[in-house]
Amino acid sequence: MWSYQKKLQYPIHIHTPDARMAKLIIDQYGGPHGELGASLRYISQRYSMPWPELKAILTDIGTEELAHLEMISAIVYQLTRNLTPEQIREAGFDAYFMDHTTGIYPADASGVPFSAQTFASTGDPLADLHEDLAAEQKARLTYDNILRFAKDPDVRDPIKFLREREIVHYQRFGEALRIATDHLDSKNFYALNPAFDKWKRRPAGDKKA
Amino acid sequence: MNEQQKALRKIRGIQFAIWELRIFLDTHPNDCNALKRLQAYETQLESAVSQYEEAYGPLNEDSATANRWAWVQEPWPWEMQKEEEES
Repeated sequence: MWSYQKKLQYPIHIHTPDARMAKLIIDQYGGPHGELGASLRYISQRYSMPWPELKAILTDIGTEELAHLEMISAIVYQLTRNLTPEQIREAGFDAYFMDHTTGIYPADASGVPFSAQTFASTGDPLADLHEDLAAEQKARLTYDNILRFAKDPDVRDPIKFLREREIVHYQRFGEALRIATDHLDSKNFYALNPAFDKWKRRPAGDKKA
Repeated sequence: MNEQQKALRKIRGIQFAIWELRIFLDTHPNDCNALKRLQAYETQLESAVSQYEEAYGPLNEDSATANRWAWVQEPWPWEMQKEEEES
């Protein structure tokens, strides 16, 4: 189960609304490299991880991604406060506005709704961990692209925080991949799928390959 | 930054350190130094959170210092306080 803390992981106080930035940043809410997909990816993948450290890291990073999802929605919410219909039209936010007004809806920057097609849960630990490493890089580059357009320090500051978290997660998943391969046949990591095929675990303390 | 924001900033800093150590310990479960640092931060957090909740209302729904009425009150985390809007 999960419990809620009544605060953001990192503070967000955006003084100047800017619907044009909101239209771009919503991408990290419901887009292909976004926080919703990240959270669902890790929380779904943990069931087929055979090793306890990897169940722990997927649970914890999947949980942190939910906190990032909340930060992204807070940014979009604050960027779209107190706007007139004229300002919404000028900012190009009018197409989003038709179906959602200023409510928060998971879609990408061009308005395509969130799709589970954007992530994988393969039931194969090595394939999943490589997907996770790639996912962290894709989120990192999306934040880099947001930073190319964001000028307001109130927006840049939390986006930079989120970008750095992707790099830390990438590091942890790299360690997770190493833990996985250390349990496998060093001559052929792909001899079997440890989440599906029957195999003999190496006894504790056995260092032989 | 008002007193409440300063107190929350302190809590966030401690919680950030705790979180970093926790995910580090997921992939390094035998690192005794990291575990010691985690425990030190956890002790700091406990007193910082109860001081904050006594003064400003609940952060956690199940805290001993939380009450139901205060939980429902604004601002919620995504909202800005009035004085921030004006500053």
